Amino acid sequence: MNKTLRISFSLKNTYRVNSILYSLKQIPIIKKLLPDMLYQAQELKLFANVLSVLWEITSIFLGKAIYFLIMICGGGMLYKDLPESGVFLHILLFLTIIGSFVNTSLFNPTKDKYYAMVLMRMSAREYTLVNYTYAMLKVVVGFLPSVILFGMLQDVPLWVCLFLPLSVSGMKLFAAGLSLRDYEKHRTVYNENKMRRFLWVFLILLLGAAYGLPAAGVILPETVSVCAFLIFIPVGLLCIHKIRIFPLYREMNKELLADMANQMDTSAQMMKTINEEKISDDGSVSSNRKGFEYLNELFIKRHRKILWNATKRIVYVCICLIGFILLLFYLKPEIRQDINERILRFLPYFVFIMYSINRGTGFTQALFMNCDRSLLTFPFYKQPKSILKLFRIRLREIMKINAVPAFVIGAGMALILYASGGTDNPLNYIMLIVAILCMSLFFSMHYLTIYYLLQPYNAETELKSGMYKVITGVTCFFCYMMMQVRLSILFFGFMTIIFCLIYSVAACILVYRFAPKTFKLRM
Amino acid sequence: MRFVIEHLMKNFGEKEVLRDVDFSFEEGKIYGLLGRNGAGKTTLFNCINKDIAADGGCFYLEENEKRREPVPEDIGYVLSTPVVPEFLTGREFLKFFIDINEKSIKNPRRTDAYFDDMRIAREDRDKLLKDYSHGMKNKMQMLVNIIARPNILLLDEPLTSLDVVMAEEMKSLLRSLKKGRITIFSTHIMDLALDLCDEIVLLSHGELEVVEKNSTDDHEFKEKIIAALREDGHE
Repeated sequence: MNKTLRISFSLKNTYRVNSILYSLKQIPIIKKLLPDMLYQAQELKLFANVLSVLWEITSIFLGKAIYFLIMICGGGMLYKDLPESGVFLHILLFLTIIGSFVNTSLFNPTKDKYYAMVLMRMSAREYTLVNYTYAMLKVVVGFLPSVILFGMLQDVPLWVCLFLPLSVSGMKLFAAGLSLRDYEKHRTVYNENKMRRFLWVFLILLLGAAYGLPAAGVILPETVSVCAFLIFIPVGLLCIHKIRIFPLYREMNKELLADMANQMDTSAQMMKTINEEKISDDGSVSSNRKGFEYLNELFIKRHRKILWNATKRIVYVCICLIGFILLLFYLKPEIRQDINERILRFLPYFVFIMYSINRGTGFTQALFMNCDRSLLTFPFYKQPKSILKLFRIRLREIMKINAVPAFVIGAGMALILYASGGTDNPLNYIMLIVAILCMSLFFSMHYLTIYYLLQPYNAETELKSGMYKVITGVTCFFCYMMMQVRLSILFFGFMTIIFCLIYSVAACILVYRFAPKTFKLRM
Repeated sequence: MRFVIEHLMKNFGEKEVLRDVDFSFEEGKIYGLLGRNGAGKTTLFNCINKDIAADGGCFYLEENEKRREPVPEDIGYVLSTPVVPEFLTGREFLKFFIDINEKSIKNPRRTDAYFDDMRIAREDRDKLLKDYSHGMKNKMQMLVNIIARPNILLLDEPLTSLDVVMAEEMKSLLRSLKKGRITIFSTHIMDLALDLCDEIVLLSHGELEVVEKNSTDDHEFKEKIIAALREDGHE
């Protein structure tokens, strides 16, 4: 037993440490400082080990504290008229029952279980029992401080707080015992990530009882809650016996972990499948063009689902919103003045809106996964003139895709400005439309340019470039900050146009100079 | 025509994968490239195909005693895991490829003629490539590489995923194509190498060396190759 515990710990710790080292290696500047033999470096390993142990300890307590803070007390704050301790126990009781089914640890197919029991062929029985015991201890120890702290704050008596952790684990043991018995009888293994429909309905009803009943002013009397919690303890104790003598851990875990083998290297595989699903099978798609235009037209038509359909949806939503605002003007004329003033100063806000709706990432991702990943292995595709020709074609396409919603938004804003009382300077209307179009042009250009200059994906379609992540992060931050800026339409619009022009010229120069070298597969 | 590699080097961090590759390949021959796992066969191909930059050395084509750097059209590269643009049908991919390379493809034929050559069934020709099997994708990749008639054809483990019939067809195809070009064929299957290749070249210690067949029989020759590979410090 002791040995099993030690091995399963060191196994978990090893891959946690390796994940920490791996993530360090992904950070742009730090990765240069790290040695090549990263996984051999003792000091680094020690550092990662410390982090790993700290994380294990924190996870015992932190998760529970957050749970109490948000789910129990946070939820309880909604019902001010009811006794605090009653609400606390009421919500905790129902959530405990839910938790004993959705957070079992016994029926959660995890990677460490797969490594230990399938790959390393450890004894399933011992491994399961040892780890389950540890998980239950973690529940009791982790709950104790939080339940005392938050419970006493809500006027729950101390003696109740002290036995609540035992009740919670008792309920978990009970649910585990039930599921084990079910496996023995019907040979269907319970998987907490793939619950059956009737259980879903049951849990949703319980969730409704946890938060819905108090909203209706009904809670379980405190004595009833306390008694229920008290009963969980002996019930749990009885189930310990069942769990100890259960003979089929090996078979059960084999079934539980059957899907893991396929899932192991899947994030990339899944990306690929997801992207392949985006290809429309419509037999009527064809093209009369030649060469790269032919390739591009087929690409756009077969990816209509993710490219144009998303754009169409955005356009419909925008038209509805604009219509709604215009209707509001009609119904409540008094808001016109306010909106009018806002529009005249809110143009920078639209940088963030245009950022949010631009299809740049989706487009370049589909381009790579479904097209460039394969074609870049062919020499003809890597020739500078091919790369630049295709860049021009793609820039045109992504600009078209982004420009439609931009025009609708720009025109809509001009319309709203007019309907809300208008402006003295008619140039404002034109500027609204042009500036928003420029923003969309900028985002189209921006995403395609960084894609061509950094080509961030590797052949397994994972995002590998740290620089790419940094640039997209900075872009997001910059756009977010723009929400805070208030400037007049004419001034900001003029700045936008100038910026967009300079950026476009610079981006074109960079792409023409460097893309023939940088646009390739990462090995 | 000769393809000459001079003192090619490639390191990954501190690991010297290609130390000093120095070799001259001759037209009309199929070279079997053997090496242990991790010996750097794919790295060598990637360097020649300019997918990764070499750290030193050079390679060039020599025709009529004139040297020139290989341009992309000179090289065809068939990867072990076939990659084809999934959103195109087999026919569309072929049409696109012929369009783009119309200058270099002499006497282009109808697409169906090419499919017939590769024995790709009629009902498959207008299916999306994403629905092709592994072997079929491999055929497509081979097909477009053959149409372009490159001077150097690099094949990285190309027959491993094909069924026996397909593999035989592919072998005779490669034999029929070897005239006028240099074919370099990497494989782990020694019998395949002995059967198909005119020369056996070993990649070991980051260097290329030819294994002379002379008068030895097949069995001795195999022993000789294995002995040479065993020395490659992986034991």
